[in-house]
Amino acid sequence: MVDFGIPIGAGIAFGLGALGTGIAQSKIGAAGAGTIAEKPETFGLMIILVAIPETLVILGFVVASMIMIMLV
Amino acid sequence: MEYAYVNARIRAMKSRLLGRPFLEQLINKPDVDSIIADLERTSYREELERAGVQFSGINRVEVAIRNDLIRAFRAILGFIKGGEEENLLTLILQRWDVQNIKTILRGKKIHAPASEILDCLIPAGELGEAALTELVKQPDVKAIIDLLATWGVPYARPLTRNFKEYSETRDMLVLEYAIDTFYFEHALSTLKSRDTEDNRIIREMLVTEIDINNLRTVFRVIRDRMDREDAKKFFMKGSSELDTETLYSMVKAGTLEGALKLLEPTSYRFLSGIPQEYVSAEKISAFEKELDRYLVRKGISQFLGDPLSIAIPIGYIWAKYAEVTNIRIIARCKQSGVPDKELREALINV
Repeated sequence: MVDFGIPIGAGIAFGLGALGTGIAQSKIGAAGAGTIAEKPETFGLMIILVAIPETLVILGFVVASMIMIMLV
Repeated sequence: MEYAYVNARIRAMKSRLLGRPFLEQLINKPDVDSIIADLERTSYREELERAGVQFSGINRVEVAIRNDLIRAFRAILGFIKGGEEENLLTLILQRWDVQNIKTILRGKKIHAPASEILDCLIPAGELGEAALTELVKQPDVKAIIDLLATWGVPYARPLTRNFKEYSETRDMLVLEYAIDTFYFEHALSTLKSRDTEDNRIIREMLVTEIDINNLRTVFRVIRDRMDREDAKKFFMKGSSELDTETLYSMVKAGTLEGALKLLEPTSYRFLSGIPQEYVSAEKISAFEKELDRYLVRKGISQFLGDPLSIAIPIGYIWAKYAEVTNIRIIARCKQSGVPDKELREALINV
């Protein structure tokens, strides 16, 4: 019998991280677009700032992977 | 509306505003031409070049900074176009319509030349430069009110209603009070419809303006020894801190010292810091200047408010207004050879 709790837990860990990243990037992206419109020289900095929330989804992925290893 | 985008843009625009060191640099310049040379290295360059086609010297600076201010305000309105926020910001920009109409009426009453009246206007509201020029061309106060009514401008209503009283007394305060009351009542009633953080911010700014207008009236009534009962009808309602009763008791105090004592428990206690010689000489221009500075400071301090609210556009509007006013003061003082010490005192220090 497969334990569905483990893949569901992994899915939640990854999915919530991705959602958090999406919300954060939408706000940062909008603000970044506004800043670049006025100051094009900040483009490089904005790319970095938009990328920072990616850590959330990466951490979610790592946790999900660790959970999935339990299945093996 | 996406405040993250709009406010980031406005903050970027704010970073281009000229700081205190640059203003000091302008103060140290010997004449208007060297001020223009310095300003040409800033964001004013484009407008200075345009104005340079028709004007030179002080007029070039005046026209350029005025057009730059209008362009900045129009840009902000463009960012937030279509939303509820546009209506809120328009409420604040309409104060310049009221100010312009009052300036034109005052100018016409004292038969000031059209060019002088136009120099004092800031077409940042809904009445653009063309409309204001047409108003200035009118021969008298009655013709201005009639033209506003023909255009369907709402401010014509309070002016028409009170014109009879004005023509009997020839007191401009009657018309000024009528238009101010109309503007503030309309703005505050618009804000009542929703109880949001944005509405609260705009209401706070409007109430501060009401307080400042009322305090100006109190100081003038005391200085001119006007009838105390008459004064009561010129107080505008809307503020809880300085209600009609408090203002009336200030008038009853009879002296500026007495009125200032009554302001001690309020946020206007800073007026007590005005030098005693101005108070004894009843030089209320010093009080008015201090109140103007307070309003500008309060507007600019909105930058410290919620970064995802209308506080940021409001803060920028006041910061830009302060900058343009300061440049105008510096250029005019340099033109007329005012000493640097007096020039620094005249600036809006923010």
